[in-house]
Amino acid sequence: MTSLPKPGRAWMARNMAAGQRAVRPVAMLGVLGTLAAIGQAWCLARLLTDAITTVPSQPGASEVLWALLFAGLTVLRAVLLVVSDGVSFTAGVAARRRLRSDLFIRVFGAGPGFLRGARSGELAALAVDRIESLEGLFARWLPASVLAVASPLLVVLAVLLVDPGGALIVGAAGLLVPVGMALAGLGAAAASQRQFVAMGRLQARFLDRVRGIATIVLAGRAEQEAQRLQTAADDLGRRTLRVLRVAFLSSAALDCAAAAALVVLAGRYAAAWRNGASPVAAIFVLVLVAEFFAPLRAFAAAYQDRLQAAGAAEQLASLPDLPESAGAPPIRTVTATGVTVAFHDVRFTWDPSRGAVLDGLSFRAPAGETTVLVGPSGAGKSTVIELLLGFVRPDSGRITLNGADIGTIVPSALARMTTWIGQRPVLFAGSIRDNICFGREDATDQEVEEAARAAGIASFAAALPEGLDTPIGEGGYGLSGGQAQRVAIARAFVRNAPLLLLDEPTAHLDPATEADVFDSLRRLALGRTVILASHSAAAHAFGGRTLELSEGRTRPVQGVA
Amino acid sequence: MTTQRGLGALLPILALWRGYAGWLLAGLLASLLTVAAGLALATAAGGMALRPVTGIEAVGLAALLFLPGVVRGLGAARVVFRYGERMLTHAATFRVLAGLRVWLFRGLARQSSGGLGFMRSGDALGRVVGDVEALDGLYLRIIVPGVAAVLLLPVLVGTLAPGHAGAALLVGGLFLLSAVVLPWVAARLTLDAGGRLAETSAGLRSAALDAIDGIREVRAYGAEGRMLAAVQAREAALFQAQRQVSRRASWAQAAAFACGQAALLVVLLSPGVAPGAMVAGLFLTLAAFEVVGGMPRAGALAGYAAAAASRITAAATGASAGDPSDPAPLPSGTSLRFEGIGFRWRPDRPAVMDGLTLDVPAGSRVAILGPSGSGKSTLAALALKVAAPQAGRVLLGGVDVARLRAEDVRSRIAWLSQDTHLFSDTVRANLRLARDNATDAELWAALDRAGIADTVRGFPDGLESWIGEGGLQVSGGQGRRLALARALLSQAPILILDEPATGLDFATERAFLLTLNDVAAGRTVILIVHRLIGVERLDRIFRLSAGHAVAAAA
Repeated sequence: MTSLPKPGRAWMARNMAAGQRAVRPVAMLGVLGTLAAIGQAWCLARLLTDAITTVPSQPGASEVLWALLFAGLTVLRAVLLVVSDGVSFTAGVAARRRLRSDLFIRVFGAGPGFLRGARSGELAALAVDRIESLEGLFARWLPASVLAVASPLLVVLAVLLVDPGGALIVGAAGLLVPVGMALAGLGAAAASQRQFVAMGRLQARFLDRVRGIATIVLAGRAEQEAQRLQTAADDLGRRTLRVLRVAFLSSAALDCAAAAALVVLAGRYAAAWRNGASPVAAIFVLVLVAEFFAPLRAFAAAYQDRLQAAGAAEQLASLPDLPESAGAPPIRTVTATGVTVAFHDVRFTWDPSRGAVLDGLSFRAPAGETTVLVGPSGAGKSTVIELLLGFVRPDSGRITLNGADIGTIVPSALARMTTWIGQRPVLFAGSIRDNICFGREDATDQEVEEAARAAGIASFAAALPEGLDTPIGEGGYGLSGGQAQRVAIARAFVRNAPLLLLDEPTAHLDPATEADVFDSLRRLALGRTVILASHSAAAHAFGGRTLELSEGRTRPVQGVA
Repeated sequence: MTTQRGLGALLPILALWRGYAGWLLAGLLASLLTVAAGLALATAAGGMALRPVTGIEAVGLAALLFLPGVVRGLGAARVVFRYGERMLTHAATFRVLAGLRVWLFRGLARQSSGGLGFMRSGDALGRVVGDVEALDGLYLRIIVPGVAAVLLLPVLVGTLAPGHAGAALLVGGLFLLSAVVLPWVAARLTLDAGGRLAETSAGLRSAALDAIDGIREVRAYGAEGRMLAAVQAREAALFQAQRQVSRRASWAQAAAFACGQAALLVVLLSPGVAPGAMVAGLFLTLAAFEVVGGMPRAGALAGYAAAAASRITAAATGASAGDPSDPAPLPSGTSLRFEGIGFRWRPDRPAVMDGLTLDVPAGSRVAILGPSGSGKSTLAALALKVAAPQAGRVLLGGVDVARLRAEDVRSRIAWLSQDTHLFSDTVRANLRLARDNATDAELWAALDRAGIADTVRGFPDGLESWIGEGGLQVSGGQGRRLALARALLSQAPILILDEPATGLDFATERAFLLTLNDVAAGRTVILIVHRLIGVERLDRIFRLSAGHAVAAAA
């Protein structure tokens, strides 16, 4: 485990502890199964002894009894197997559900800022595939690691009752396993961990090349890249075998111990009978040798799951911290009718090397009025919106809504007061209606239809196969940029919040569509406090007061009534 | 999909493995030797231990089995064979999978020339890569124990038959049940459930992507709880599908276990068997059922593997646009002309172009504008021979590109779009994709013209710096400039820039477009965008609408 970086290891330790509690029932069932196996071995020993020592005849009453007991225990073990599989699965489900919900809470808490560096596809792969791949850790490795100790111990105890000498042999063979593994593979575990990482890299490389295959083909390099992939795989293959040569010695130690136990026991009993001992103990112990080593084999097999988890652990450990639950400062909500926004000497820096984006910005946006932020790119227009959304906090200065500092408003209350429309709305998989209702869950059909009309959706929705119920988003009907923006506007209509933040809402539209969208936005703006960031000429026609941002401060231009 | 065809999906994959037959057979042989040694060891150990009781008299070769030295030898042989088996089977699996990946890559590349990169996203292709990993148990956990099971059956029945023919048949039947019938049932059940699993996991993926891509909406609308609930609902559907499969596999496994135990009872209770034969038969039965104990799970695995195999085969062997049998030589002229183009991506989709005619003289700077969905990117696909028009023709230097080899056409056109991929590799390797033999001086010159040389100089290892996963994270603007440097390095006389600044913030977009004005002197530049921001230097502007190109003011 030495090559696993620290956060990953700490993550592993924390989650294993939590997982261990969840698999306790599985371990109990496993122990029960081992007890049943011991019982079966005893039945078998009695039956075989009777069969080989008595004169061949019809089975006697005691034989029928042992056979029935054997059959009963078989059924019990079969049922235990199914039940414990079910419980392991449930433990795996609980762990995956917990990790996934934890991931989303962290990502939501960290907000859009976190996604600046990360590709959303990679994060989704972590949330879906990597967390799925952890199933083995919780459903197989954890129970196997408990049973690898408990079950062999029970078997040795059972053997001890009938043949102390045999117990000594089995126990010694069991101890040989870890000793042999240590001797054969000091460092083999670390080496195979490294190897596993190397294999992961090769897979990642292949995945990367497939994702960019169009780029490779258009550059005319497909064949060359295929040969490179082959060479890389061959190299890794040779190195892998060198590592496995050593790593498999530790598995051989397990095989060696099992074979040795069997051979020594067989010799011991062959000699014992010359002194007239009963064969029952011999058969019992010989049959149990397999039971003794089975959990150890299962443990060795599940080691793969442990290795696989390491990569995911590292990624999960590097997720942002959990959002602090609203705590110490006085928390308040603000009356929801008429919001006045004010910036007091606000400073903010995204990247220290590029200097402050906002450098002492102060302005006031009165309730019910529209304020248009203009200015060159990089003047901080979008930053003002991000600050008002609470995605980032000012380095210094105060932002107030109706006099209350934005930092003291509970996030959910802030979200209730504001509506935001950005450059490119994200539409979720679902119908147009679902996407409008995203604005407010309990919006009535009438409200949704009014919003659709006001946003100009009704005109194009009528032509769609199922009107407002047409599925959109991935796998659904593709809307154009202007249509998507209208859905976002309808969303804002049903939201009906007093503060409307518009961040370059037409930046990705062609001029004709832009004019239409601004028409709908003007209807939406009625009676609300609006802050519109735009560098488009059409924004000037939007009306309201224009504030020019320059070098992180305002330069008031003229009030357009 | 019927079961036969379902499991039959594995056949094309197996056919690919012919080249590795030596490794595969060696691994199989080692595995069979291990099984044989294991069976002999169990039987011999039991026989030796109980010999004084059973009073077996040594007759012929069988007597050898019960000698202490032979038992020890078998024990040692089993350990050695097992070690050899592990090495050989792992080596074989590794080679086979590596070969499969390269085969898949070649197949995808071949189809890429048929429009795949434009039709399917890279992430969708990435899922096929995951399917290759689903095949890693096919040889080791399905084929090898399957062959062992088939060979074990006659040994088991043959050994038991002299003692009691009826018991031998019964045990043989139970063996068939757990080694063949139950695994087959398990395979069939997972194949049936495979569709639901794929569907529910795609559902979870799309919900997760929605939640991540829409994080601004989620935060701005305070919808964290609702979004998490939506993800968890999809997750629950996936878990339910998985639970169903897992439960069925468990029952098959439990039934196989019960078969093994019932077989032991049959041996023990069969009347009139000599003690020696009884002991040998019992230990042999015990060991034989242990060998095939995992078969039902292997069957379930085969169901998954078959589903994965059919997706891989479908992805790797789709249609591809072939080159003309008698290609024309590449003309020296580099003018580009679209002439009366009619095009639709699929017969059931509306026409993207309908009699479009467009002239791009050599060395000109042209912008093509239009709202999304108006076919702007299709123009790039047609010029690059990634798609072929249903009507009209594309002329490069006056020659119809249909008569030219795709590779030749692409050597004349460099393409840069928001989808241009930067690979997880060094800066040098990323740039050299465009020109393999480029010198460092040429690389730096291209980086310089793309306005990114200073940034790369600031990287810890310069051109050797590793970018992407596991390396330096480059920003959107830096990435686009690296891609531009690559395009400039290619020396292709025509540069197609398809929404090259999408996804960049305004300041970066503006700076990037200003760079473009200066770098491409002497080359034809085709800029495909939804709007102009006013800094572009252009000779002609076309607007696409209703499948036609309309000249706008220059």
